[in-house]
Amino acid sequence: MLRTEELLLNVGPQHPSTHGVFRIVLKIDGEIIKEATPVIGYLHRGTEKLAENLNYTQIIPYTDRMDYVSAMTNNYALVNSVEKMMQLEIPERAEFLRLIVMELQRIASHLVWFGTYLLDIGAMSPFLYAFRDRETIINLFNELCGARLTYFYMRVGGVKWDAPEGWIEKVKNFLPEMRRNLDEYHELVSGNEIFLARVKGIGKYDAQTAINFGLSGANLRSTGVKWDLRKDQPYSIYDRFEFDVATHPDGDCWSRYVVRMEEIKQSIRILEQAVEQFPAEGEIMGKVPRVIRPAEGEVYAGIESPRGEIGVHIVSKGKAEPYRLKFRRPSFTNLQILEKLLVGENITNMVTILGGIDIVLGEVDG
Amino acid sequence: MIDLIQSQLTFTNLILLFIIAAVLLMTLLGFVSYAIYFERKFIGWIQLRIGPNRTGPLGLFQSFADILKLLIKEDVIPTKADKTLFIIAPVIAFAPAFIVLATIPYAENLPFADLNVGLLYYIAISGLTTLGMLMGGWASNNKYALLGGMRSAAQMISYEVPLVISVIGVILMTGSLKLSAIVEGQAGYIWNWNIFPQAVAFIIFLIAAVSELNRTPFDLPEAESELVAGYHVEYSGFRFAFFMLAEYTYVFAFSALTTILFLGGWHAPLPALEFVPGILWFLLKFSFMVFFLYWIRATLPRLRVDQLMGLGWKVLLPIALVNVFITAIVLEIIRN
Amino acid sequence: MRGIVRGLGVTFKNMTRKKITYAYPDVPINMPDRFRGIQHFDPDKCIVCNQCSRICPTECITLTGKPNPDPEKKGKVIDTYDINFEICILCDLCTEVCPTEAIVMTNNFELATYSRDDLFKNLEWLNNNNTNVRSEQNSAMPKPKKEASAE
Repeated sequence: MLRTEELLLNVGPQHPSTHGVFRIVLKIDGEIIKEATPVIGYLHRGTEKLAENLNYTQIIPYTDRMDYVSAMTNNYALVNSVEKMMQLEIPERAEFLRLIVMELQRIASHLVWFGTYLLDIGAMSPFLYAFRDRETIINLFNELCGARLTYFYMRVGGVKWDAPEGWIEKVKNFLPEMRRNLDEYHELVSGNEIFLARVKGIGKYDAQTAINFGLSGANLRSTGVKWDLRKDQPYSIYDRFEFDVATHPDGDCWSRYVVRMEEIKQSIRILEQAVEQFPAEGEIMGKVPRVIRPAEGEVYAGIESPRGEIGVHIVSKGKAEPYRLKFRRPSFTNLQILEKLLVGENITNMVTILGGIDIVLGEVDG
Repeated sequence: MIDLIQSQLTFTNLILLFIIAAVLLMTLLGFVSYAIYFERKFIGWIQLRIGPNRTGPLGLFQSFADILKLLIKEDVIPTKADKTLFIIAPVIAFAPAFIVLATIPYAENLPFADLNVGLLYYIAISGLTTLGMLMGGWASNNKYALLGGMRSAAQMISYEVPLVISVIGVILMTGSLKLSAIVEGQAGYIWNWNIFPQAVAFIIFLIAAVSELNRTPFDLPEAESELVAGYHVEYSGFRFAFFMLAEYTYVFAFSALTTILFLGGWHAPLPALEFVPGILWFLLKFSFMVFFLYWIRATLPRLRVDQLMGLGWKVLLPIALVNVFITAIVLEIIRN
Repeated sequence: MRGIVRGLGVTFKNMTRKKITYAYPDVPINMPDRFRGIQHFDPDKCIVCNQCSRICPTECITLTGKPNPDPEKKGKVIDTYDINFEICILCDLCTEVCPTEAIVMTNNFELATYSRDDLFKNLEWLNNNNTNVRSEQNSAMPKPKKEASAE
């Protein structure tokens, strides 16, 4: 008789589609995965430890580099927690700028996800189309705060720069173009039979499993659970705008795709309203003491980043540096379900499932 | 050329034939380098960017630069690899590609080795490449390469069947396996071409051909994003160039075959355009087929292995068989 | 099949559109004014307050001062000023806290070298890096009063 044995395949840290330095050790039998063990830590940079020696404003550039694809929401997570601890008042114009910037960032992050997901599945062109739109957004950010990827835009109590002349007009002109391009992406991808065959029914899990694992963001909403921190625990001025929370009843990769594309549409909707209601003038920085020294205590505040719930837990002993700063990183939590989903799947589906969870390694490792 | 082939084999005739063959091979090498260049350009335009444009004017020397780079690379053979098989595998993958080109007629006066069983010879020899890929995958001593090699063997064998059966309809209509006879059977203008009565066979042939070529959407053996280049992951330098050369030579061969079988070979589409020489029509239709392959590559995602096998055996094969039956029945009815 | 055909239509249409690539480095990229590029240092304005080196999140600025050579004036004058560009993250906090705008940022970003030693820039290099200096510095200095319009 032919002797068959299990093959130990190491999808190593260097691989074109693991979205960074991520390693999975697979035990496969033919092409079916019997056991999958993710190994992380290749990008660990000790952000939380470094934060014990830096004051709050100095930590903000480090948060940029955690989830480098959506840096604005990271900045906001930290700044929001500190402001909650110190009970600061943020001026209106600063809130509007923050919201506009965060929603643009959400669109940009979902575009990166869209492009790279389709690249993993094999289609080369949507990647470049998505990056054409992302380039417009990044140029807008470049004009606003001087950087293309690591913005360092938010400060405790407001934002650093005011919108330059004509910037709001540019955002306003970008939105119909983004709508048209979104239709183009749907035309190119959403009806494609090959894509549907690759993605439907793959990586299915139900709502109770999702809640047990602590998933958040599109991964949770793709099982039908209507949970979005922007609506359920509103922060900033999200309660002034009307938008829908995208959900989809199946829990597979197709529903995650649908949910994220719908989120782009809803972000455009919020942006249209925000640009209409943008205050003509105002302060961009509230009344903040020179040295930011929160009172003794602890706080946790979570916001909705494109990947899920990002939260910052600060324990302060009354000094200018935090005693302990912990980031609740959505990619790290969302990745836990990978081990369970991969058992019994094809190797090809591993790439599809991993892409569908949308992780960024900078965030997983911290 | 026909009289050259039909005359006696003297020494001068041998030299002349040899020179003609060498010219064909040079044309092929030129085609391969510019096919790669145009592929990058076309896919670049589709993706809203310019393709190569820095090496030489308009980037025309890009392929030569790449080939030069591959030639001067160090020849790395993994330590535990099976040396003999490792070295022979690219040759076996690549030689049938050249052998097959001998039977393709490009114009009325350029039939080359127009065998009586040209089509059968073509399809039989092109199946030998699978052996080379399997050997390459096994000999590399690398799990990724092994997976890629096995996938490619399964894929290419399964798609040979619908490929051949879809062509049977054309053979029934023409009554011969000789490639120039098939083109003669499409004499007349565009309404005589085989693509119209055999539209279903054309589509099946196209899908099976793309799969035989290991191109997207069927490029699992070299799936970049999962298997990191599949069966040729351990090959570098000129051995890798052999595999690439084999793939592009097959692009040439299959596009030429599609032109001959379905698009009327060297015949003009309309009476008004008769003055253009036959070889130019051949090249035009051939270029259209090559462009179509590039267009598909830029647009479509990749199929999974089981879906690919399911498509080949459960969808293409039955439809091809039904096509053969219907063609036979219609021809019987017409004859009576 | 229909979805595939529509997708093919989209890619074909995109072939005829204008290309979106930049011709860098043949055509230089013009960054907007606020772009945080490499710093420019003006030693005459520096009062050696050490704020920049204290606020730097990665501690990449090292500086020393010497007493003012002019015996009548008080205070220190800058002697050496180094920025280690291997760890500078171009966050512009140093610009933000400098009370005299001695250290400002430019829009240059091309700093790639063949050896890491070249990335340790001293006072003279930072002083000579004076092209494309940002016009809007947003340092802690009070801003000039706006025209009397929005009163």
